[in-house]
Amino acid sequence: MSIWQWFTDLGNSKIAALLIFFPLFLLIVFYVYGSRTRSERLETYKYMPFQDDDSEGWNKKSDTQK
Amino acid sequence: MAGVAPLTNQQYNYEVIRKFAIAALVWAVLGMFTGVYIASELAFPFLNFDTPYITFGRLRPVHTTGVIFGFGGNALFATSYFVVQRTCQARLPSDRLANFTFYGWNLAIFLGVISYMAGYTQSREYAEFEWPIDILIAVVWVTYFWLYLQTLRRRSQPHIYVANWFYMAFILATALLHIFNNLAMPVSFFGLKSYSLFSGVQDAMTQWWYGHNAVGFFLTAAFLGMMYYFVPKQAGRPVYSYRLSIIHFWALIFLYMWVGTHHLHWTAIPDWTSSLAATFSILLLMPSWGGMINGIMTLSGAWDKLRSDPIMLFLITALSFYGMSTFEGPMMALKSVNSLSHYTDWTVGHVHSGALGWVAMVSFGSFYHMIPRLYNTTIFSKKLIYVHFFLATIGIILYITAMWVSGIGQGLMLRAFDDYGNLAYTFVESVAFMHWPLVTRALGGVFFLSGVIIMVFNVYMTIVTAKREATVKAAESEVARAV
Amino acid sequence: MLKHENIETNVGLLIILSLLAMGVGGLVEIVPLFYINDTIEKVDGVRPYTPLELRGRDIYQREGCYLCHSQMVRPFRDEDLRYGHYSLAAESQYDHPFQWGSKRTGPDLARVGGKYSNEWHVQHLKAPRSVVPESIMPNYPWLLENDLKYSDVAARMATLKKVGVPYSLTKLEYDRNVEKFGEEQAAWLDINRAEENLLTEAKEGNFDGVPGRLTEMDALVAYLQVLGTMVDFSKYDEGYFVEFR
Repeated sequence: MSIWQWFTDLGNSKIAALLIFFPLFLLIVFYVYGSRTRSERLETYKYMPFQDDDSEGWNKKSDTQK
Repeated sequence: MAGVAPLTNQQYNYEVIRKFAIAALVWAVLGMFTGVYIASELAFPFLNFDTPYITFGRLRPVHTTGVIFGFGGNALFATSYFVVQRTCQARLPSDRLANFTFYGWNLAIFLGVISYMAGYTQSREYAEFEWPIDILIAVVWVTYFWLYLQTLRRRSQPHIYVANWFYMAFILATALLHIFNNLAMPVSFFGLKSYSLFSGVQDAMTQWWYGHNAVGFFLTAAFLGMMYYFVPKQAGRPVYSYRLSIIHFWALIFLYMWVGTHHLHWTAIPDWTSSLAATFSILLLMPSWGGMINGIMTLSGAWDKLRSDPIMLFLITALSFYGMSTFEGPMMALKSVNSLSHYTDWTVGHVHSGALGWVAMVSFGSFYHMIPRLYNTTIFSKKLIYVHFFLATIGIILYITAMWVSGIGQGLMLRAFDDYGNLAYTFVESVAFMHWPLVTRALGGVFFLSGVIIMVFNVYMTIVTAKREATVKAAESEVARAV
Repeated sequence: MLKHENIETNVGLLIILSLLAMGVGGLVEIVPLFYINDTIEKVDGVRPYTPLELRGRDIYQREGCYLCHSQMVRPFRDEDLRYGHYSLAAESQYDHPFQWGSKRTGPDLARVGGKYSNEWHVQHLKAPRSVVPESIMPNYPWLLENDLKYSDVAARMATLKKVGVPYSLTKLEYDRNVEKFGEEQAAWLDINRAEENLLTEAKEGNFDGVPGRLTEMDALVAYLQVLGTMVDFSKYDEGYFVEFR
């Protein structure tokens, strides 16, 4: 039985899904945590929600009251 | 320039967000009142008053639709428009279409609620709307998607912030689910009645694929989007780990779609779907807790905020309930536990620990943060936020404890045998046993609802004060200009 | 090399990858159910509802009965003793939509047919606490007061036919039903005779105990009395159904 046939047999769908998606998951985890420089770069994006505060005046008032 | 309000109004479309926010609160009161009422009907059946329109069977979809789509849906529209505009620093592309989503969505829910009371329902849980309303919802949803997409495309930031990924996944998933689960053949072009395209096993599978992902995407992914914006903003510090949020996002949206069948354990559905769903339900615990940890740890190093900031209290408690119910859920998805818990109040309790504890609490927290900013003011009373928080928490605890007692109790009674191998209890004996838990549950609902009414008052006073301040400010600047 | 930044800065890519991630689960679980032959047991006796039963089922849906009563007996000893043989997929193959339910505030109804008399059902639906004092079910007195609307019953059957229920319109379809369900049943499934059949069944059955009047109670009780009675389980070995699970 060729590999392709094995994958299209529905009885094997669970194992097939595991074989495809678990390595994919590991790959993503490795990508995200694998390198220090990449990690630092990714973490810089978390400040995005704070970049709008200076562009407008609404929260000056709430800032003074804090 | 008269004050700062016009400036933000020019930059962002806040008007439509205000409408959605107010509609969310109106539906919260209506939907939760209905909830308290039908809970009381179960405790005291005379409350059905022999009136077709208000019997439990017809009001229950009114309650679920009112709170999920009325309160939850409007809250999501409001916060998603707020978040997408602010994180992209771009205005929604069309005010008219934004207004259309507001009126279309609320009209659909209103028509739905009326039609259920009149006896028109597809009898698919959380998708009871009959076909013409489904079409209206589909049109509104496509408009919503288009507005969201166009705002993202107009962003002045190179990156799309993580909150928007969750909102986008929610919009896409809801579209998929809504379309496939509502495939039906109308009896006539002028009537409301229709029959589902699928039957039996396939229909059950489609419905619970929908049903669970309505929870997974409508009530979880979208509210996680809310969490990823409002928790950092309220805490004044960025989210704990951006890398964790990447893993969290992809794992969550991938895994959720597999688990619907755990609503069909031990039924006539083939065993392989059931086992698959149970396995994925356990796996789902990981991204769920990843999200919770990411949210709660955002406060790491600033835990004192919990003592001084009631809004933070709402948000962090919501995340704790999220963690709790995403632990309880996979446990109930195990076939052995499910054999006891399924069909009982335990499930109802579980849903509410998620719906009240997570969805409602995180919305309240976000609203207390957002509404004053929409009106360029501060909240009317911080003390009332505390009162709301404690009423809500007491309500939830009463509710879920009562449901554990009633659900586990009934489950055990129904499977009990006497020494001779006969059933130890009749069904109705378990119903009689459930009376006091059901009364307690209704009481829990009353607590939760009173908290919401206090919130409505607080928000109302905030808006009134804001309007007064605005007129005073306008007058002052008039005077200043005259001098 | 694909960087995550590419996804974060490109809406189209984000949407496509999200759809892919979300699509897999549903596809793998739902699609096979439509063409795996073993999903539905091969069993005799299951037939579409008669016109009167169908109207009863519509009323069952209208009143939201499915919110408190399941129609799905699970394979446990206590459920076997309480309700009967566990439910088969075949038994709901003509149910558009399914009525398995998700909550038992009241008992399961998958095999309620034939367990109680028509009179009991009428009294119980009118005033549940007059027969079961601890019951928390609402009263449904209007079922006895409302005349049953049946003018569109043929249209309803025709709609169900469109989605795959074997009601017959043509001679050919009728003959096929005779072969599949027998002559007596095939006659009930003929859309051309829908109204006539409905009236005959209601008159002969007199389900609501009020002769000469056709009420919604007639239809609902007719529906309840057929639930779970179509398969004769004495004809099958206990092991037979397990092959399909």
